[in-house]
Amino acid sequence: MSQLKYLVIYASLVVALILMILPLPDWAQIYRPNWVALVLIYWSMALPRRVGLWFAFFSGIVLDTSLGTLLGQHAMGLVIIIFFNLNFHQRIRVLGLAQQAVYVFALLLINQGVVAWVEGIMGRPIPLLAFFSAPLVGMLIWPWVFVILRDIRRKALLR
Amino acid sequence: MKILFQARGAALQALFLIVLSIAIMVVDHRFQHLEIVRSNLALAISPLRYLVSLPATAGNWLGDWFTSHTELLEENETLKAEGRILNARLQKLEILAEENARLRNLLGSSRKIADDVIVAELLSVDQSPYRRLIEINKGSSDGVKIGHAVIDDSGVMGQVIHVNAQSATTILISDPEHAIPVQFIRSGTRSVAFGRGSTRQLELRYLPATADIMIDDELVTSGLGGRFPPNYPVARVTSISEDRIRGFVSVIAEPKAQLDSSREVLVIKPRQ
Repeated sequence: MSQLKYLVIYASLVVALILMILPLPDWAQIYRPNWVALVLIYWSMALPRRVGLWFAFFSGIVLDTSLGTLLGQHAMGLVIIIFFNLNFHQRIRVLGLAQQAVYVFALLLINQGVVAWVEGIMGRPIPLLAFFSAPLVGMLIWPWVFVILRDIRRKALLR
Repeated sequence: MKILFQARGAALQALFLIVLSIAIMVVDHRFQHLEIVRSNLALAISPLRYLVSLPATAGNWLGDWFTSHTELLEENETLKAEGRILNARLQKLEILAEENARLRNLLGSSRKIADDVIVAELLSVDQSPYRRLIEINKGSSDGVKIGHAVIDDSGVMGQVIHVNAQSATTILISDPEHAIPVQFIRSGTRSVAFGRGSTRQLELRYLPATADIMIDDELVTSGLGGRFPPNYPVARVTSISEDRIRGFVSVIAEPKAQLDSSREVLVIKPRQ
């Protein structure tokens, strides 16, 4: 029973995945924030023992399958940013939402950098606007993601 | 392995996972071994895909449900009228088809007019913003195979690159990684049309400056390379730019197929 409540984490990741594959008009594509990264950042910050590197890796593989990207591409980006997050989470948790958002922007940018690097190697360079727009939207959305997931976590009595 | 799983040092674990990711990427890019992993995972998340396409489906269904009686009658009338007109045209077409077949026989050509097709519907359109892939609702259980060409009612859309049991991923001709062998109808010049990542543009690079090309020229598949059957419409030339120094012409063409709005597509099975 006590393990059952951790299903909340998986449920939130499934919702994030749905948001990643939800159809958007062509022009809005490049503004789609990396929801899976945002949710993973939250959980690894709140429950670093439970949501760690392997969690990030497998989420990345599932994300790669659903986006049709190279298997391992998003997995690598997510592993790197969750690694940073696991090292810094104690310092970041006490910051205000605005400062946290800037930190999340940096993480999303690193993730985007890894994805763009692999795309570049494969001969599909990402335009500059597309490179910065998604992490920027992710930063602006972070406070809401944080507050919503925190409430969910408290309701589910996860600690 | 067990030591790695339990490793206290997160850095070591991260390093291991990064190397693992890179290895998977290389294998996925170079070889076909991971196709089975990919198709199984895709099957596992296919309920999500259906869920995502549900609002559109439900919208259509509700729309049908609430269509009023008079509207239905009106629609019935117009459809009947349309049906009569189409029937008349069809008769003409049948005559033409017969004539065509006769002439082909005269020429000794063994080419059949109709290809074997599978009708499919779109499941989802957009995935990564850097690629142009669509998911269709027919898979290996319906006879779809990797490499089959996909068209809509107005032109070539792309080809199948991954197949699952109930669905298949199709790369559109506008994907930056895709190239399709084409031929100009008017002049017969052969070339290759590359995708540019934009739904409305294909690019034909390095045509000789002396090539006979004009705006509005129609492009069809040339059938070279064996992937696409010949003589399906592909695109229409919209702009021609000359590189006088190197003596090349680069041509931009607009795809005929409605790459961003077609819902029903046809998968063409090549004749053996």
